[in-house]
Amino acid sequence: MNTQRAIPRARCSSSVLLGSIMILAVPCAPAAQTAPQAKPAGTKPAAEAPSAPCEACHGAHGEGMAAAHVPRIAGQSAEYLKKQLDDYADGTRDNPVMTNFAKALSEKQRIKYALQYASMPTLLGPQLKTLNTVQLARGHQLAFQGDERIRVQACNSCHGPDGIGVLHAAPYLAGQSADYIASALKSFQQGTRKNDAGELMRSVAKQLNDADVVAISGYFAQVDISTK
Amino acid sequence: MVQRLKEVDVIVIGVGMVGSIVAKELAAAGYKVVGLERGQTRFTVPEFQSPAIHDELRFDIRKAMMQDNTREPVTFRNLGSQVALPVRRWESFLPGTGLGGSMVHWNGQTYRFQANDFQLATRTRERYGKNFLDADLTIQDWGVTYDDLEPHYDRFEYLLGTSGKAGNIKGRIQPGGDPHESPRSRDYPTPPQKEHFSGAMFRKAASSLGYHPFPQPSSNLSQPYTNPEGMKLNACVFCGFCERYACEHYAKSVPQTVILPVLLANPNFELRTGCQVQRINLDSTKKHATGVSYIDAVGREFEQPASLVISSMFSINNVRMLLLSGIGAPYNPATGQGVVGRNYAYQTMSTVASFFDEDVHINPFMASGASGTLINDFAGDNFDHGGLGFIGGAFIGAVNTNGRPIQYHPVPPGTPNWGKGWKQAVIKHYNHTVMFSLHGSSAAQRQNYLDLDPTYRDAWGQPLLRMTFDFPQNDIKMAAHVTAKAVEIGRAMGAKQVVGSPRKGPYTVTQYQTTHNTGGTVMGDDPKTSVVNRYLQSWDVPNVFVIGASNYPQNASWNPTGTLGALTYWAIDALKNTYLKHPGRLVPA
Repeated sequence: MNTQRAIPRARCSSSVLLGSIMILAVPCAPAAQTAPQAKPAGTKPAAEAPSAPCEACHGAHGEGMAAAHVPRIAGQSAEYLKKQLDDYADGTRDNPVMTNFAKALSEKQRIKYALQYASMPTLLGPQLKTLNTVQLARGHQLAFQGDERIRVQACNSCHGPDGIGVLHAAPYLAGQSADYIASALKSFQQGTRKNDAGELMRSVAKQLNDADVVAISGYFAQVDISTK
Repeated sequence: MVQRLKEVDVIVIGVGMVGSIVAKELAAAGYKVVGLERGQTRFTVPEFQSPAIHDELRFDIRKAMMQDNTREPVTFRNLGSQVALPVRRWESFLPGTGLGGSMVHWNGQTYRFQANDFQLATRTRERYGKNFLDADLTIQDWGVTYDDLEPHYDRFEYLLGTSGKAGNIKGRIQPGGDPHESPRSRDYPTPPQKEHFSGAMFRKAASSLGYHPFPQPSSNLSQPYTNPEGMKLNACVFCGFCERYACEHYAKSVPQTVILPVLLANPNFELRTGCQVQRINLDSTKKHATGVSYIDAVGREFEQPASLVISSMFSINNVRMLLLSGIGAPYNPATGQGVVGRNYAYQTMSTVASFFDEDVHINPFMASGASGTLINDFAGDNFDHGGLGFIGGAFIGAVNTNGRPIQYHPVPPGTPNWGKGWKQAVIKHYNHTVMFSLHGSSAAQRQNYLDLDPTYRDAWGQPLLRMTFDFPQNDIKMAAHVTAKAVEIGRAMGAKQVVGSPRKGPYTVTQYQTTHNTGGTVMGDDPKTSVVNRYLQSWDVPNVFVIGASNYPQNASWNPTGTLGALTYWAIDALKNTYLKHPGRLVPA
């Protein structure tokens, strides 16, 4: 009978701790995604949070700075955000700014900031439209269908319908900074970012050429879920 | 009007796993090969992409990837004294259709059989005596040995990139692998998939009882892999949609991901889809095939002449093709004479459900089709059958392949079959139950066989295949024995309630069990008891080769695909190195 008790207890770890905190946070998330969406500018965050070191670049509402390759993180899942902080700290994801910040944070602080930004309303308005119609069609094709010729599956297979993300599993791409998505794809291609389970993103990114990277990143940047 | 086409060197009937591999090898060797596929062309993009591919109603319930049984069903009966009726809705087994064949929607469980399996009749007599077997069993040796096939198993596993852990490399037992396996020349091409939580529980319990748990060999890959054909595969994401679905991630080893693009790039190969082959044509001597006749998707009839015909369809369709073509003597169970349709066998599947308290979270939905943990301690002849009165066995495993909403709802006995009580039980147990699969061998028996139905015909006017099958007593006894052992493992896991469901007769065709239909074009050394020789060449028409699980004289304790891949490469070696240089009998009749 001891066996039965021992098994669930053996699973206790920091990630389970995060998971149990998330039980409180999760019910808010779907509501945040279906409610009328806050636009990036001039909106008030649902939960007033104490200022975090993240704010200077990612913004008080987690809106990011599109032109500076700084991603939106508002409403990204806590697991995803916490994992990125861990990975910056241990070098499996490479960025000089983020590595320094992440290393300086304690485990508790990483969980705190991850939960804080996860609980903010997802900013679903589009970023700049930068693509011509041919590029847009290519981006749409890769997002919805993939391409047998280069053996790439649809982005939305993992990143959710319209790239809206899959809670706990894959980050949203819809409305994300095009420059950020492009630089993320480049770092997967070059292998400087290697924190993807099963090398899933590295496998895909390596099949894309420069034009594909422009198309797919520009495509997701202009996806506007908020009007749907 | 029948159009007669230009002669080619080789016709492959059925472009699934076997057809793709054979066609690729022979086209690369310079032969003109035509592949005739009954179904449609399909690839990972666009046909297999989500969200459409994750449609449980369409693929699981309505069987969208299966042989169209409004046009081409099978008739079934348990006993020769009954009248067989057409199976209008596939349930017990699910023959696939379309480019890539049934492998497209397989689970990726990729085993080798053991040395003992290939010489089952001889080894059983040696170990247990001449009179051990039930008199009505028609167990026989394969005509090949494990050592013959080992290099071909290896080649097939490296084609697929199978993820696993060796238990025996050249006679040396490897910790963490299956110590019962026959020696392999090297480890699997990729390491095992991550272990499921239910597998970790099983591992601990099985070890505590002295058994030898090991990770299930999986062709849903644990990491990116480039195979010897230059095809790149991705790592599996554990989406829980393998069996009955195609993989959208290029992570499951299927013809489309491991070999078809190489084949299709070869100008020596021509693929024709939507082609329903009616028969293999013979000349007036009935000892030589001249090609095949087929009807295309718009109803035009063609005759395609060829020097060599390979029947590489799903097992039971291989049997039907020979019967429709008049190749080999049909089996007669009354006299025991004849060979085509003889030794039809299946797989004897049992289950054990272990129900836990609600603080044990299994998360069954996070799974691949082959990310289980199992033991072979009660498989094959890995335990002493003396005094047990049966041969064979089963692997026992926590093989959690999915937690899909329509089909996966384990509930304990006594639960109402519908209504509020049922719904409450489903909610209560969904995430707190571990299911074991007991994958049992199937003994061939005199009265189980396949022939042509005397009454029912397909959409093209050809007689349907008739299946006559019930479980041999041997297998019922085996299922009871192994299930009792598995229940002990469930108890050792600390489950609140453990329910064993050993397979019992009569066989029912309306409940899903497995699509491991074997036999009917059995291989062997004696033309009186086999349809093809040890190189899978027809004894009666030497320019016809038949390759499929229909070659198995009886079925072993594991999924059949790995062994079929090995047999395919084994036959290809014989074709390329001997037959095609000097066409004729590879073994004197």
